[in-house]
Amino acid sequence: MNLDAMRTHSEDETVDAVVIGTGAGGAPVLAILAAAGLKVVALEAGPNFTPEKFAFDETLADEIYWTEERLSGGSTPEAFGGNNSGTGVGGSMLHWGAFVPRADARDLRLHTETGEGVDWPISHGELRPFYERVEAFLGVSGPRSYPWDAERRYPLPPVLRNGPAELMAGACEARGIRWADAPAAVVSRDFESEGGPMRQGCINCGFCHQGCRTGAKASMDVTYLPLAVSHGAEIRPESFAHGFERDRDGRIAAVVYMKDGRERRQRCRAVFLCAGAVETPRLLLHTGLANGSGQVGRNYMGHVATQVWGTFDHEVRMNRGYPSSLITEDFIRPEDADFAGGYLIQSLGVVPVTFANAVARGRGLWGQPLLDYLGRYNHLAGIGINGETLPCDANVLALSDETDARGMRKARIDFGYSTNENRLNVHATKVMRDLWEAAGAKDVWVLDRVAHTLGTCRMGRDGGTAVVDPHGRSFEIDNLWISDGSTFPSSLAANPALTIMALALRTAERFLAVGR
Amino acid sequence: MRVVPLDLPGFGDAREESGYSVDAMADRIAGAIAARSGPYRLAGHSMGAKVALTLARRAEDGDPNLAGLSSLVLVSGSPPSPEPIPEDRRSRMLSWIDADPETRAREARQFIQANVGGSLPLDFENSATDDVLRAAPAAWKAWLDSGAHEDLCRRVGVLRTPALVVAGSEDADLGPDAQAALTLPHLAHGRLVTVDGVGHLLPLEKPDALARAILDHAAKPSDPRAAPPAIPPGYAELIASDRVNSRLRSALNERAAADDPAYAPQALDPVELAILRAVFARVLPVAGLDAAARVDARLAAGRGDGWRFIALPADDEAYRAALRTLDAASRAKHERPFVVLAGDRQDALLTLAQKGELAVPPALGGRLDADRMRFWFEDARADAARLYLSHPAALARLGFSGIGAGGDSPAPIARGLPGFTNTRLDTPEPWEPEPWEPEPWKPLAEESAR
Repeated sequence: MNLDAMRTHSEDETVDAVVIGTGAGGAPVLAILAAAGLKVVALEAGPNFTPEKFAFDETLADEIYWTEERLSGGSTPEAFGGNNSGTGVGGSMLHWGAFVPRADARDLRLHTETGEGVDWPISHGELRPFYERVEAFLGVSGPRSYPWDAERRYPLPPVLRNGPAELMAGACEARGIRWADAPAAVVSRDFESEGGPMRQGCINCGFCHQGCRTGAKASMDVTYLPLAVSHGAEIRPESFAHGFERDRDGRIAAVVYMKDGRERRQRCRAVFLCAGAVETPRLLLHTGLANGSGQVGRNYMGHVATQVWGTFDHEVRMNRGYPSSLITEDFIRPEDADFAGGYLIQSLGVVPVTFANAVARGRGLWGQPLLDYLGRYNHLAGIGINGETLPCDANVLALSDETDARGMRKARIDFGYSTNENRLNVHATKVMRDLWEAAGAKDVWVLDRVAHTLGTCRMGRDGGTAVVDPHGRSFEIDNLWISDGSTFPSSLAANPALTIMALALRTAERFLAVGR
Repeated sequence: MRVVPLDLPGFGDAREESGYSVDAMADRIAGAIAARSGPYRLAGHSMGAKVALTLARRAEDGDPNLAGLSSLVLVSGSPPSPEPIPEDRRSRMLSWIDADPETRAREARQFIQANVGGSLPLDFENSATDDVLRAAPAAWKAWLDSGAHEDLCRRVGVLRTPALVVAGSEDADLGPDAQAALTLPHLAHGRLVTVDGVGHLLPLEKPDALARAILDHAAKPSDPRAAPPAIPPGYAELIASDRVNSRLRSALNERAAADDPAYAPQALDPVELAILRAVFARVLPVAGLDAAARVDARLAAGRGDGWRFIALPADDEAYRAALRTLDAASRAKHERPFVVLAGDRQDALLTLAQKGELAVPPALGGRLDADRMRFWFEDARADAARLYLSHPAALARLGFSGIGAGGDSPAPIARGLPGFTNTRLDTPEPWEPEPWEPEPWKPLAEESAR
């Protein structure tokens, strides 16, 4: 994004807040604080890209993925990098899928409802106005009426339905399942959010995950970050935070970071740690801060994100259009469930390299069968779920003994499904197979997959069992706040980014009210 | 063809000379080459082949005294890697070389007899035995103790010089399998010719066959290579059109360029690269795309994908260990290196790896256990598949229209790009490409001289 006219601050100046990370957790915080007149500096580990770089290609997009190595263990090891982690001004929102269902109210009180998992320390009612503000600001496109929430209204009409969406809609009709055009943070017509550039309506190119060339997708670099900069915030790219300086009272006095090969420090009155559910706990474990509860790194969660693929007589050309343009929330609480929580289903179009990776890994094809199968690309379509993952003791992020180029220990993530996730997965796989059968799919196969990074710095009401309070403030260091997916006590069935942004607004406003 | 025979230090007419390391032997030959002028070929038999490969590396690195090298002839050659000779045979050869004259004479003759496929004419056998007895025992021992063990695999690297590799079918340690696994990987333009019925002393056993092979090779020093994967004209037109973003067009053209046959591996060594090429020939049977070299370049650049299975070592080390394990599995099961196995046998080993059932004891060269081989083969399949679908020929085969969704816009936040106006089923826009089926590819058959 254009940072030419940006206000800058000296490192000796004590700014009101340093925000570490410029993705879904950091960008809204930066915007709210700057708009309130605070002096704020964001440290972003990655470079400042301009959309001119985004070239409608998967391999060229490698540069927007966080490719510093993480070690993946456990019974269902999760892929990182392009699967869920980004770098650059805008964070992983540069490559996010922009699929923005709200959390279902029941998911926030799962323990009360089922005795499983945990309740969130905030209610859905508290979140709702923040959801509405984020949707209005980003320009979320969605159906005129939402079958699972009669009151919901989206600011823009839905984006075009694509081939996989049509197939899924037909299958849902055949099986008596409600469906809707997906809520997508992609503008279906020209739109200008406050403080941001004019964004042209989506051209349906299908490369959401490779960086949006037209700004139609609500990445942070065309939404909250320009708003923040217009109010005087400074964004420092290629600045990797790796330590903190503390005053006599134990409060954070400065953030230590590397830029241009030199160690620097920015003095500040408060810190917002927004580096995502891997780098946030990694930095806390590295510095040994805010972990009196012993909860930092615990209860790591990825979503159950199983996909079902099939071959159709139709010419689907699944690369065209917004990739996940249909949704059903009919399985957020399936009647015949033998598990707690539920899942949503979305239609799937995937671009070739990503698809080939899935086929080679998940279907195990190689040789001529691999080439032959990939050759049917224009006739393939998928559906997939995003399903609840309960917090679990065995799922932990820790520091490995291996170090990165800076000498910092790499993150090691152990993740595996437990009974609840396995049962949910079996249920969802059966439903999706049935839907694809109804759609006329042949050669149906199942891709087991884990998505997103959540948990590790959970929020709660008790500093003995949680890292941050219900507003994201550290129980131990009162000028340290966390705003990203790491604070999620449970995963929710919804894709996380919308909720992360809503919580970010709430955290920032709480800070303005009581934190200074 | 004018032929200049040269003895290595400690042997033949040079038996009084010292300097038995491969480099020292190479120095002596280099001196002899420098004393002459004009283009030349370099031939080496057995240990002489290792010396010749060392000299070829020096010549390709620009040593002015070695300018003019036009091709190599490597006969029953000792490879740049440590020579695969069983320990019992090695110690036996060491035991008699400076024994009493009677033992020496008896053992030398037996040594000659053990190194031929059939039997030599008596006068040849006598002169060969005399040559052994004439050699300086110190030179003989130096070769067995150190020269044969010198690991020059990375140093010799991959040579561009055209090369003929000749192997005797009955050569116990340095026959065609060993040459294919350990010598050919160093030769970008190497041709292996097997002479049937002969052992290690091939030049004495079938001198006419060897001379014929050398003359044939001189007449036609390199074999045709598979062209890079073809991009059909319609897809090439799309790539050249305004619908394709300039940065993407440059990237596609770069990916479509032919791979360098003399690509010098950086993460793997040349022998491991050859095993990876053999693996990828099964995983990704696409002619003219050197996926192994491209993966090696990525490994060397340290450009990972952001994660790895915790069970595996770092990516480059995982590849090296897995490829050596696969080769060890092949040798344990079939007594042949992986690179020479028939496709169905290679597939069977890869299938075992995929199932997590490829177990090779460390004593037999296994470096990754069955679970790790499963993880590695998953990574390798994914690396190959991703590389394939970044290639424009593969996208053409799919009839992939996504590259045409973009184009260029002068505005920082683009306006007016074409994208797709239609995204529904069965409604391709008129410009969208159809899938395209290339001609099937058959690998070149190995040559055999009889």
